[in-house]
Amino acid sequence: MANDVFVLGGHQTDFARNWNKEGKHFLAMMRESVLGALELTDVPPADIEVAHVGNFAAELYCKQGHLGAFFVEIDPAFSGLPTSRHEAACASGSIALLAASAEIEAGRYGLACVVGVEQMKTVGSKVGGDFLGTAAWYELEAEGIDFPFPKLFGKLGDEYDKRYGLKAEHLDAISVINYANAKLNPNAQTRNWYMSADHAACKGDDNPAVGGRIHLTDCSQVTDGAATLLLASRDYAADYARRRGIDLDAIPRLAGWGHHTAPLRFADKVKESKGHKYVLPHVRATVTDAMGRAGIASVDSIDGIETHDCFTTSEYMAIDHFGLTAPGESWKAIEEGRIALTGDTPINPSGGLIGAGHPVGATGVRQCLDAYKQVTGTAGDYQVEGARTFATLNIGGSGTTSVSFILSR
Amino acid sequence: MSDKRNPADRIRRVVVLGANGTMGYQSGALFAAADVDVVYLARTKEKAEKGREGAANAVRSAAIKSRISCGGYDDLGKHVPDADLIFEAVAEDLDIKRALYEKVDAARRDDSIVATVSSGLSIDELVDGRSDSFARNFCGLHFFNPPQVMVGTELIGGKATDPQVLDFVESYSEKVLGRVMVRTANTAGFAGNRVGFKVLNEAAQLAMTHGPLLVDRLLGPYTGRAMPPLRTIDLVGWDVHRAIVDNVCAKVEDEAIATYRMPERMRALLEQGTLGDKGGYGFFKSDGKGKPKLVLDPTSGEYRPESHQNVPELPFVDEIVFLHRIGEYGRAMQRFAEADGELAEMSRRVIGGYISYSFHRVGEVTESIAGIDRIMAAGFNWAPPSALVDTIGKDRTVKMIEQAGLPVPKQLTDAIARAGDGPLFDEPRLSLGRYFVAAA
Repeated sequence: MANDVFVLGGHQTDFARNWNKEGKHFLAMMRESVLGALELTDVPPADIEVAHVGNFAAELYCKQGHLGAFFVEIDPAFSGLPTSRHEAACASGSIALLAASAEIEAGRYGLACVVGVEQMKTVGSKVGGDFLGTAAWYELEAEGIDFPFPKLFGKLGDEYDKRYGLKAEHLDAISVINYANAKLNPNAQTRNWYMSADHAACKGDDNPAVGGRIHLTDCSQVTDGAATLLLASRDYAADYARRRGIDLDAIPRLAGWGHHTAPLRFADKVKESKGHKYVLPHVRATVTDAMGRAGIASVDSIDGIETHDCFTTSEYMAIDHFGLTAPGESWKAIEEGRIALTGDTPINPSGGLIGAGHPVGATGVRQCLDAYKQVTGTAGDYQVEGARTFATLNIGGSGTTSVSFILSR
Repeated sequence: MSDKRNPADRIRRVVVLGANGTMGYQSGALFAAADVDVVYLARTKEKAEKGREGAANAVRSAAIKSRISCGGYDDLGKHVPDADLIFEAVAEDLDIKRALYEKVDAARRDDSIVATVSSGLSIDELVDGRSDSFARNFCGLHFFNPPQVMVGTELIGGKATDPQVLDFVESYSEKVLGRVMVRTANTAGFAGNRVGFKVLNEAAQLAMTHGPLLVDRLLGPYTGRAMPPLRTIDLVGWDVHRAIVDNVCAKVEDEAIATYRMPERMRALLEQGTLGDKGGYGFFKSDGKGKPKLVLDPTSGEYRPESHQNVPELPFVDEIVFLHRIGEYGRAMQRFAEADGELAEMSRRVIGGYISYSFHRVGEVTESIAGIDRIMAAGFNWAPPSALVDTIGKDRTVKMIEQAGLPVPKQLTDAIARAGDGPLFDEPRLSLGRYFVAAA
């Protein structure tokens, strides 16, 4: 039987910051986040035994590879540490977490540090949109296309519309909820931005279409940011709990995980799922695997979800894929207020990728950090009352690589 | 006044006076964005409508306009009785404000709050002659420009202000408007401008002998700010700078007031029309294409290309900028404290002066250094003084201030003693690294 993986906590940078304007290298971002995590968890740097870095495209945005090695630059105590960098487009952060947790499960190390990082504001939106196109099959789906990803996720909406019907008002509502939650999150990129139901509903110059049915308010943000999480073995966690005078039970565990990869091209995904109840069956399998491994029978036992709302359509998809509603009926959960912060299964209390921001390689780590905050009651103004079990869903590409975690206490 | 309701429920309608001005329409947009019905009033309805367009531009959405109605001051008697909050943002002139308050006093409900965005006029003088109810419900609510970006906000009560009104406005501004609040005494320039313009004016004084380019490099972003000081004065406007420093000089006598006197040469240039960005030229002037920048020669009053300036190499600045770039803020600022040479000393005198002056103001303009820290960070985008002490090192900072020949305030040594091994700066909502900008 695999060893338990405990989550000691972590840190995220303020996602509203523009590190390029500050003249900063992404190393500054990693340093602030990793040292911040050590400070908040009260873990000495010398205790870290292995480090994993999640990052999508520093080669493109910053002309720099070999990100694992940059971890060693953070503190003299890290010299000699085993490190590696993981890439799976927008799911890079979760893949780094999976690698670290597998090592803890296998008993190789007692304490792992996982940092997800992305610096994206080094280039303009058009060039950045082209870089993001490499998360799809670039030659076939992105080359020469302005903003390929909104178009791909617009097609996800089209597929829902074709199979079950889809109304713009429900996508608007997803956007409005994420922005409203972000106002409660002191690290959210859009916390001071204007948003209202009227603004999301207006589809004119202030809110232009960027890809089919996807308008600006349906999109996640271009974000600079890093997030760090410390994962520990039972032995380290027990010792840590003793040192801090707390119960081991007070420390959350990574109770379950799911991980699948679908065909890269969106058209192939749709072809494969023909006749299937779920539009993205591999995403559904990721979620049910995570719940199964955590011993959870249904979404009813989950107190809240941090999901991958790179666009409103991807959150719309997550609602039925998590099983909040029957397939194709996500709109019901929206109308009934179930996904709002006060609902029975709040989705993205942090504001998600739309409200909190989406530094690509950091997002999976940030989601698990927010899940950690929720189950430890430390999420501040966006706390889901009494949360003990939280799920994440992190997606790379157009629903290609998907990873889900369940954190519980 | 004690009210257990959600603060958002108590303010359902706001009247903005002076809604055509930048601070008027931008501040009004904060309320409209919070789903409050807002009435924009200006000298004419057309001017108020222009303000409403400005609000839509400020938040980049025409949808906000559905929350804003417009009128002229003739409509004041119609709208003010319905208002839960009357927010005044007319010209910074005591007589103009007082004349308007008289009309508001006659029309407002007893339970409505009246707030002014004034950045320096005395709250007590403003309510002189007003009803008791008006004075009880009156406060300063000083947003910084642009309020959509700068969340730091000063809250100022007068002698007659009901403490519960201040408590309410503070909690409303934090929870509903997302502001970072600082309570300050009713002293000239309140907290932010008092501390900030001391540094800005000292930079202006140095620029008269050393030239603007060198001074802005020596006191540039690497010392803990988003924008160099002389660029900031150009942005604020030389006339506004004069009004603020003259007001402080007239009302205040403090240990560093000499650094607060506007250079006579600058005053003369202002009188000849040097206004800063709004007039096209100040310490710097664009050639119309953005660059190259032309730089003022304060002696002749002429502008010369940046490339023709004799600015010495500043290797210690380059080193510090690189350390900031990779996030080594502590090592960077220690290098700053120990750099050799007259120019490093000049820079340390101003930065040490900023720290010394800030701590001296504790007890006078704010209760604790935390208030000054918050407003310098969230209102000026400057590294807060406590954070500089932590980053430079406590003992090293004291030594730096002493070596600059400046007084070490008791408030600083007390704070250091209280903090022990811990940091002086304790504000989880502000991330420090952002203030150490990697640019010369």
